[in-house]
Amino acid sequence: MLLNAVAQGQHCASEELLPLVYDELRHLAAARLAGDEAGETLQPTALVHEAWLRLVKEGDRTWNNRAHFFRAAAQAMRRILVDRARHKLSLKCGQGGVKVPLEDVDVAALMVDDRVLLIDQCLDRLEKEDPDSAKVITLKFFGGLTNREVAGVLEITERSVERRWAYAKACLLQMIQEEK
Amino acid sequence: MIDSKEIEKAIFETARELEDTAAQAAFLDQACNGQPAMRSRLGKLLALQSRAEEFFRVRPLDALTGGENGGSEPAEAAGIREEAGELVESVETVIGNYRLVKRLGEGGCGVVYQAEQQKPVRRLVALKIIRLGMDTETVIARFKAERQALAMMDHPNIAHVLDAGATASGRPYFVMELVQGVKITDYCNENNLDIPRRLRLFIQVCHAIQHAHQKGVIHRDIKPSNILVTMHDGMPMPKVIDFGIAKATEGRLTDNSLYTACDQFIGTPAYMSPEQANFSGLDVDTRSDIYSLGVLLYELLTGQTPFDSKELVRGGMDQMRRTLLEREPRPPSTLLTAMGNTKLTTVAAQHHAEAPRLISTLRGDLDWVVMKALEKDRARRYETANGLGMDVERYLNDEPVVARPPSRLYRLHKLIRRNRAVSISILAVSAALVIGLGTSTWFFFQERRYFLEAEQGRANEVLLRQQAETQAQVAQAAMLVGHNQFDMADQVVLHLPRPGGAMGGEGVLRPLGDRAAVQGRWHQAAQYFSLLNQVDQTETWDVGTLDDTRYAVSLLETGDRDGYERFRQSAITHISNTTDPVVAERTV
Repeated sequence: MLLNAVAQGQHCASEELLPLVYDELRHLAAARLAGDEAGETLQPTALVHEAWLRLVKEGDRTWNNRAHFFRAAAQAMRRILVDRARHKLSLKCGQGGVKVPLEDVDVAALMVDDRVLLIDQCLDRLEKEDPDSAKVITLKFFGGLTNREVAGVLEITERSVERRWAYAKACLLQMIQEEK
Repeated sequence: MIDSKEIEKAIFETARELEDTAAQAAFLDQACNGQPAMRSRLGKLLALQSRAEEFFRVRPLDALTGGENGGSEPAEAAGIREEAGELVESVETVIGNYRLVKRLGEGGCGVVYQAEQQKPVRRLVALKIIRLGMDTETVIARFKAERQALAMMDHPNIAHVLDAGATASGRPYFVMELVQGVKITDYCNENNLDIPRRLRLFIQVCHAIQHAHQKGVIHRDIKPSNILVTMHDGMPMPKVIDFGIAKATEGRLTDNSLYTACDQFIGTPAYMSPEQANFSGLDVDTRSDIYSLGVLLYELLTGQTPFDSKELVRGGMDQMRRTLLEREPRPPSTLLTAMGNTKLTTVAAQHHAEAPRLISTLRGDLDWVVMKALEKDRARRYETANGLGMDVERYLNDEPVVARPPSRLYRLHKLIRRNRAVSISILAVSAALVIGLGTSTWFFFQERRYFLEAEQGRANEVLLRQQAETQAQVAQAAMLVGHNQFDMADQVVLHLPRPGGAMGGEGVLRPLGDRAAVQGRWHQAAQYFSLLNQVDQTETWDVGTLDDTRYAVSLLETGDRDGYERFRQSAITHISNTTDPVVAERTV
């Protein structure tokens, strides 16, 4: 268990720590990057601190490069979320689960984990065709960033983020539906 | 050359703005003139929009932190919308008899809203509902346990549970009285409450926690932001809120889920008890709350927590654990004494007192009460929250308190336990030294008399107090040294009140005798231990051997034959007077 590992002084992979502290980490990052020393008053838990340290390389701890941080974090979260979803689904269906063809399933009835996996699959394809949209999806869906934060990362207006996000979602869903 | 993709996006975005489907279609026809493929694609995309919104409306992150089975339900569509890109309950949402007004905060597995009760009466309440995407069996059970625990409590200083229920989709929630107030620490500081008033508020908090303990609930996260002060009939009344991570002691909450495990850990560092920080699987009990109460009292008295939050977190988990488990915090009066002037003035003002007055008020009883609550060894703390509250009451009534500064024997015991190897060798040296040369004790007693006479001008009480203080601080310094915390030890030593200042002229203590001795600076070591010895002499000699033998060694090394002989004779005199077998054993 994570806690015992920590107690024994083992180093936890950031993959394990990150999801637990992600929200806090984001707020912390946002506050810090806004040049806001109030980031200190957030009193992050030790877990957050650890995750922070691991995510951030030694020299980069000042994180002037907000875009870099958020992008890296979002990518990391994507990996983690997809792994978890896969793991959970494999537990549910057992190994070699029956793959239900998509036409038979109403997309709206899909569970979160299924959605995560589908999105992830098609995202790779989207990245080739339309990297901008793929970026938005990674940041918004996997990274959980607000429109404002995404605007900062991509250096566009919030309004643009909203529009691109809408477009990206539609595109991706269409891809998913086209998948056989 | 413009990317066709960009064009497509632009058209999409524009078409999206158009509300009328007919207008949309017309626009698309126009814009995609001559490009049927694009027209068709865009048509599909626009049609997909609402389903796409729906599809992406899950928060995998929440599902992740919700437990093993998170994400087993599709996200609730009704009553949710995106606000600033985040998923929130729509404020028009009505849950049972309650209409959500605004989000107040979140914690644990739930979110707290301010809500308006519709019937049978109209009033504002606080509604806590389990988080979206977290409605899994284990988490629901836990939430219900919290609800149950709260419902069992009935105390004026604990926020009451008014109602409980579940939404149509099975999400449990409960309704509490809305406590609109300020953090207890803020309240005290903003109103410049003096010590007695602060203590009275604190006592009420103790009663509340006691009540909870009696109902089998450990709060586990007692801190100022969980204790709000409201006015009730013109009197300030503290209310404990958010038993969010409280766990019923009865009942089997044997979650092994990551969430619970980390919940146990995610306390607030500055307020975490040593056993909470240890996560050795040791069951945290009610005494952990008492530690946190101690921290609260500490903060109410000095404006600071015993260990700084930032510092704790900065060092990483291991360091934090070590600090909480091993480092002794400074008593409140010492902290204030060591504080910078500007800060001290601010703190004093907030306590409606002058700085020296404040320090002297804290010194003694209040120090001891706080430190007893903050004992690392939970068996040495107050057993009950009421116990702590009553001791504070005793202080207010000028009655003697139960708390006492740890005896020298106890401190030494602790010191020795941590430095076994060193202790044994010291004892060997001590044995060798005692078998020595003869000398006269006269010088010693002469010195002592002079020392006491020189103090006739001052109140005797002050002197004795200072000496006791010095002892405590010196012992503390010794312990710090034991941990190689030389700088901290220096700090403590620098602020030692000097008993009478009759220390042969210099009187300024340089780095500790130990360290000095270790580094071969025998003169300084001798000076330091000379002070120590003076202090020793004013009390009965029990087992101060450790200090004295080092003194002896340092004296020898400096070639201070006379000093050594004096010491030795005094040692013999004292030993022959003692009937304490422990002492005898140690010196032989």
